Amino acid sequence: MENRAKHILLIEDNPGDADLVRLRLVESKSPVEVNCVGRLSDGLATLAKELPSVILLDLNLPDCHGAETYRRVLEQAPGVPVVVLSGQDDEALAIKAVNQGVQDYLVKGDYSAKHLERSIRYAVERQALLRTLEITRKQQMEFKNQFLSHVSHELRTPLTCIHQYVSLLADGLAGPVLPDQADHLKTILKSVNQLHAMIRDLLEATRAESGKLRVEPRCVAIGDLVRQGVAMMQLAAQEKRVGLEVGLDQRIPLVHADPDRVIEVLINMIDNAIKFTGPDGAVTVKACLVEADPSTVYVSVTDTGRGIAPEAKAQIFERLYQDPEAVDNNRSGLGLGLFICRELVRLHRGRIWVTSEPGQGSTFTFTLPIYSLASLLQPVITHEERLRPNLVLIRLEVKPNATPPRGNWRETWHQCLETLQRCVYIDKDLVLPPLGSPGQAETFFVVASTDPGHAEIMTTRIREQIERATDIKAKGTLTITTTPIEVSPATVQESLGEQVQRVADIVNGMIMKIVGQESAQREIDLKANFKV
Amino acid sequence: MQKPKILVVDDDPDLVRALRLRLRAHQYDIATATDGYSAIAAAQKEHPDLILLDLGLPAGDGFIVLDRLQKSDQLAGIPVIVLSARDPQNNEQRALKAGAAAYFQKPADNDELLSVIRTNLANVGSEQTPQPS
Repeated sequence: MENRAKHILLIEDNPGDADLVRLRLVESKSPVEVNCVGRLSDGLATLAKELPSVILLDLNLPDCHGAETYRRVLEQAPGVPVVVLSGQDDEALAIKAVNQGVQDYLVKGDYSAKHLERSIRYAVERQALLRTLEITRKQQMEFKNQFLSHVSHELRTPLTCIHQYVSLLADGLAGPVLPDQADHLKTILKSVNQLHAMIRDLLEATRAESGKLRVEPRCVAIGDLVRQGVAMMQLAAQEKRVGLEVGLDQRIPLVHADPDRVIEVLINMIDNAIKFTGPDGAVTVKACLVEADPSTVYVSVTDTGRGIAPEAKAQIFERLYQDPEAVDNNRSGLGLGLFICRELVRLHRGRIWVTSEPGQGSTFTFTLPIYSLASLLQPVITHEERLRPNLVLIRLEVKPNATPPRGNWRETWHQCLETLQRCVYIDKDLVLPPLGSPGQAETFFVVASTDPGHAEIMTTRIREQIERATDIKAKGTLTITTTPIEVSPATVQESLGEQVQRVADIVNGMIMKIVGQESAQREIDLKANFKV
Repeated sequence: MQKPKILVVDDDPDLVRALRLRLRAHQYDIATATDGYSAIAAAQKEHPDLILLDLGLPAGDGFIVLDRLQKSDQLAGIPVIVLSARDPQNNEQRALKAGAAAYFQKPADNDELLSVIRTNLANVGSEQTPQPS
């Protein structure tokens, strides 16, 4: 039968205990093969080669003790049932093990052949059940996600039709419209847009659940994103006579974040804030630094609305949460907005929370990591606790030869970046996050650990690969230059971290000089183009 | 001057009609097709300056149409804007790689769509002047 154990791996260092297991197995007349090792390391090595049908595990081995023992076995052989052999005095540990994924335990010297045989059989059966359950769960999840994605696609088709015809009428393309009718059409369009937003949220939440939500972090100015988000919500605020203001700390450095996603989070939060704030209230969006947490930017949306009850605070970011006292209950949405926000912030390695005083208003805050060249460089430019000896900065400029760029420049831009990432060694070279989006940042930088001679070969390869992958020759020009990064020798007191920071400062300086010249040049070009 | 011609391809005739009305109002000539096969035929016959293409089509879906267009010397230069209800996360990159100039998910903002149509038509115009190789 499928659920009968055939191969047993016994990890036990005491020969007496090991022999007892063998004896009991012979007594129970189970036709099994037993492979016995005395050390955890040997056990893990055996598991790496072949998985047995069950593992019998002593928790006190010469090279590992206690909980660590079963954790490492479970990690090495997920899906293989484990039965712990526990001493008389550590049954508590064995029970803990069972709670953490081990199938069963036997107390040494206190089990019969029948016990052992049954424990192994049940362990194997339960593990098989768990596996089936997990497969079923995954299938269900997959089915649900496919269904939702199909539904949101099918809903879009009629919605598009409604949207097109209503806007035809509203724009007067089907004949003159009376003021009252224009007003009605505007209301329909508003509802269409709400429905559209709900369909979008549904798909986003499905993605978040199945781990398919993606972020593409870049090096961005959070102030710009806040201003953009606020500008997009200004009309909605005015319509409800809610003030919408911005407060930006001027010292904020660049953050490492996906600009589109951050704007999505901001819009969601501002939309909520406006929704729960009465006329003549105010919503303030702020970005600031907190002294105690220097590697993070805090972005907050504060309203003067009616606040959130303490018991609701814990659930507010959960999927499908609805405010039970929402004023306009008929338009409360799907309850997915803040859930999506939380997932997006989490993907940025940030935190999100709310503080609120009922009757006084609420503040939603999320954090984003400050863009730190040093922390990105650290793993790449150091080796065996020392700075790598030869560092160069490679600058790659792709310039479209028409404004606006011809054809699909966005795609060309992304292909350049992807190709570049494929051309470098990830353990010793770093492609820096782009300083903007296609159309605004056409220069890519690489910090490479290579001597100048080899850098030459590297740039040739990059050029060949990019020319092969894109039609850059037809659309623009590609310029690659390399500059050695001059790092003076470390002083005695200087730690590795300080050295890396020093390199980061030098690289930043070099980039700022180049980018500064470029933007100055762009301004000159612009002025030249607009000369009357 | 002759009006630029746009070929609208979508299997929903109601949507085709609405798009035709809107685009005509913006001084474009319109040709239409409602499946993949007739899209190619219309592209060959009508010589459109731009194609607005749905992805989910009977008789050869949008990707097949894109592929056929790219492989034809005569049609490869026509900019194609995809307008589809499908999820951009799974389809946008694929469509762009297959030669589309832009991807819009339905329902699309009319002003944005029109602005991208204008940009692409302008590009076609300037590409006709010979380029130094």
